[in-house]
Amino acid sequence: MTTDIQNSPEHAPSPRTQPGGRVLPRAISGQELVLIGVLIVLWVLLGVFTPAFLQPQSIQPLLANVAPIAMIGVGMTIIIITAGIDISVAGMVMVCAVVVAKLLAEAQMPLPVSILAGIVVGGLLGLVNGLLIAIGRVHPIIITFGTANIFLFLGLRIFDSKVVNGIPSSIAVLGRGEGGRLLGVPISFIITMIIVAIAWWYLRYTAGGRHFYALGSDSNAAALAGIRVRRRTILAYLVTGLLVGLASCIVIANGTQSLAPTVGRGIELQVIAAVVIGGTSILGGRGSVLGTVLGAILVQTVSSGVIQLGWPSQLANLFVGVAIIIAVGADLVQQRLRRKA
Amino acid sequence: MSQATHTPRQAEVKAEASRDRMTGILRAILTQRVLLVFILLVVVVGLMFIFDAVGLMRGNYNAAYMAGALTNVVPLAMLALAELIVIVTGRGAIDLSVGSMVSLVGMTFGFTYGLWGFPLIASVILAVVVGAVLGAVNGVLVAYLGFPALIATLATYYAYGSLAIVINNQQPINSPEIQGMYATAQPVPIPGLSGILPSIPLGIFLFLIPTVVIAWYLLNRSPYGRRLYATGTNDVAAQWAGIDVPWVRMRAFVLSGMISGLVAVVTVGQFASARPDAGTAGSGMALPAITIAVLGGVAITGGIGRVSGVVLATLLIVWLNAGILLLFPGNAGTQYQLLALGLVLVFAALLNGYTNRRFRVLS
Repeated sequence: MTTDIQNSPEHAPSPRTQPGGRVLPRAISGQELVLIGVLIVLWVLLGVFTPAFLQPQSIQPLLANVAPIAMIGVGMTIIIITAGIDISVAGMVMVCAVVVAKLLAEAQMPLPVSILAGIVVGGLLGLVNGLLIAIGRVHPIIITFGTANIFLFLGLRIFDSKVVNGIPSSIAVLGRGEGGRLLGVPISFIITMIIVAIAWWYLRYTAGGRHFYALGSDSNAAALAGIRVRRRTILAYLVTGLLVGLASCIVIANGTQSLAPTVGRGIELQVIAAVVIGGTSILGGRGSVLGTVLGAILVQTVSSGVIQLGWPSQLANLFVGVAIIIAVGADLVQQRLRRKA
Repeated sequence: MSQATHTPRQAEVKAEASRDRMTGILRAILTQRVLLVFILLVVVVGLMFIFDAVGLMRGNYNAAYMAGALTNVVPLAMLALAELIVIVTGRGAIDLSVGSMVSLVGMTFGFTYGLWGFPLIASVILAVVVGAVLGAVNGVLVAYLGFPALIATLATYYAYGSLAIVINNQQPINSPEIQGMYATAQPVPIPGLSGILPSIPLGIFLFLIPTVVIAWYLLNRSPYGRRLYATGTNDVAAQWAGIDVPWVRMRAFVLSGMISGLVAVVTVGQFASARPDAGTAGSGMALPAITIAVLGGVAITGGIGRVSGVVLATLLIVWLNAGILLLFPGNAGTQYQLLALGLVLVFAALLNGYTNRRFRVLS
């Protein structure tokens, strides 16, 4: 009799909840806990071996350098959750940065107007990607390889083979120097964390946010469930473009008074590295922006740690590569164990 | 009476037949990528000759100039073939690390041939072997440990590129032996045809043609090729058909590494120096190689792609770039090359998508 009662409809577990009553995955995934652990170990080790590392003057620029990577990483996380990818962010950074720099230095526009212009330009470029991918229904990696070249062309044309000089110090408010700090924390990092918090809440607790995951798990099923797949896809690339626009301003501010046509080079792979180290699955449907921030901090910690230990700075990329393998490998092992369980 | 009704119908039938033929031609052009790229190639070269004739060029766009540009075809076509072999295995397989492998193997070649005095043949063979080992690391990660190829090769792109720079303290190797390698990048006249055809870069005969022939044979005439395409088309079906799918993928990455190793020797010859950033400077060698592979009709989803398409696509891009250099002065030329590459790729990709939907080609 008891079994009958357990199997009766009112006692049967609702199909919407997993055993344990959870609908959503845990707020902090195992991958993120591992990352936090690794970061703590790294920081302690670096603090022991190089006393300069745990000083504010070493942590502050580190966070300022994390800011643009993590900010673009928020957009890239959303894109990768939808099972897409965006190779063109380096080109976008170049276009946005040179536009903002020229507005500031040559057109003498006020800072807010210039930043806004950068965000609008970034949004437009992201929209181009989104429209081509959603309407053309082509694999995102191919389209963004193409637009990457086109954006680089645009950026280099605007640069006109010259370095932009005389960027006013007003932009230092987003920089890594004294002028860019609030209570000792870089303002750019605070802005990034606010964006991360909003994105984390949106992706986790709103229907619109969950649609990105549904789309990435199975776009056909998502379409049948009534999700506007094209609109979601365009939105993911548009948001990334807007964030790239803002991040480009931070990139300028972190640099010197002049901007060279090499700006943004290689940033797309740094961002993708941060996202995948953070546990977002490149196959789509799984991931969080919190992991991306941790991934970005890890990459920056490795880079600045290598320099502070007095090793050749190029060695940092070797450790970034190893970090990617370990982080994704740990995730693969977890997945396999879960499947067996 | 009967004739009056007959004639319009005949015309209709004729019109329908011609429409069918038009659709057939369109279908052939769109579904046979080799044909489309060939037509584009003829159009581009034709346009460049016209621009030259009306005096828009700053130099002569002629057969000799086109032959000189072939120097750039050698590394690009070889790496695009490497990408073809990897991408065709499907499941999002791709190799981002080819540029870094070129840098790293270039440095090891610089050590063995340039500094340690190994014989040339042994050094070249060793370069291919080192490339194979580097490719095998990618292969193990992807085929046996289950890493997504994009991630595994992104990681090794970083790792190999970093090692290449650190291995000799950021210094290039320019010993006399290495500088002597420049001979392999020089143009040579074709025996017996020197008056008719312009001189062709030696690298075409030494490296590119053997690679193309071997790749063509492997993909089209060997059992391995059949397994490769079967794996890329449907790896589950391939597994059930008794194909060792991980081993097929593994070998694809090893082949990609071996070709990258050979390209390293090519670039050492072209620069007359083993440079630690040979394959990674600027935006690197991997992105153009992947772009050309896709343009040549390699489907990123696997199972589709031909050697002839990739070779034609390389010629298209290189001769287009060579023309652009003459059309725009100075830096503008290299910048417009980026635009051309991007536009051609986006155009090809959109066309691919359209073709797949219009003609329901497997993709």
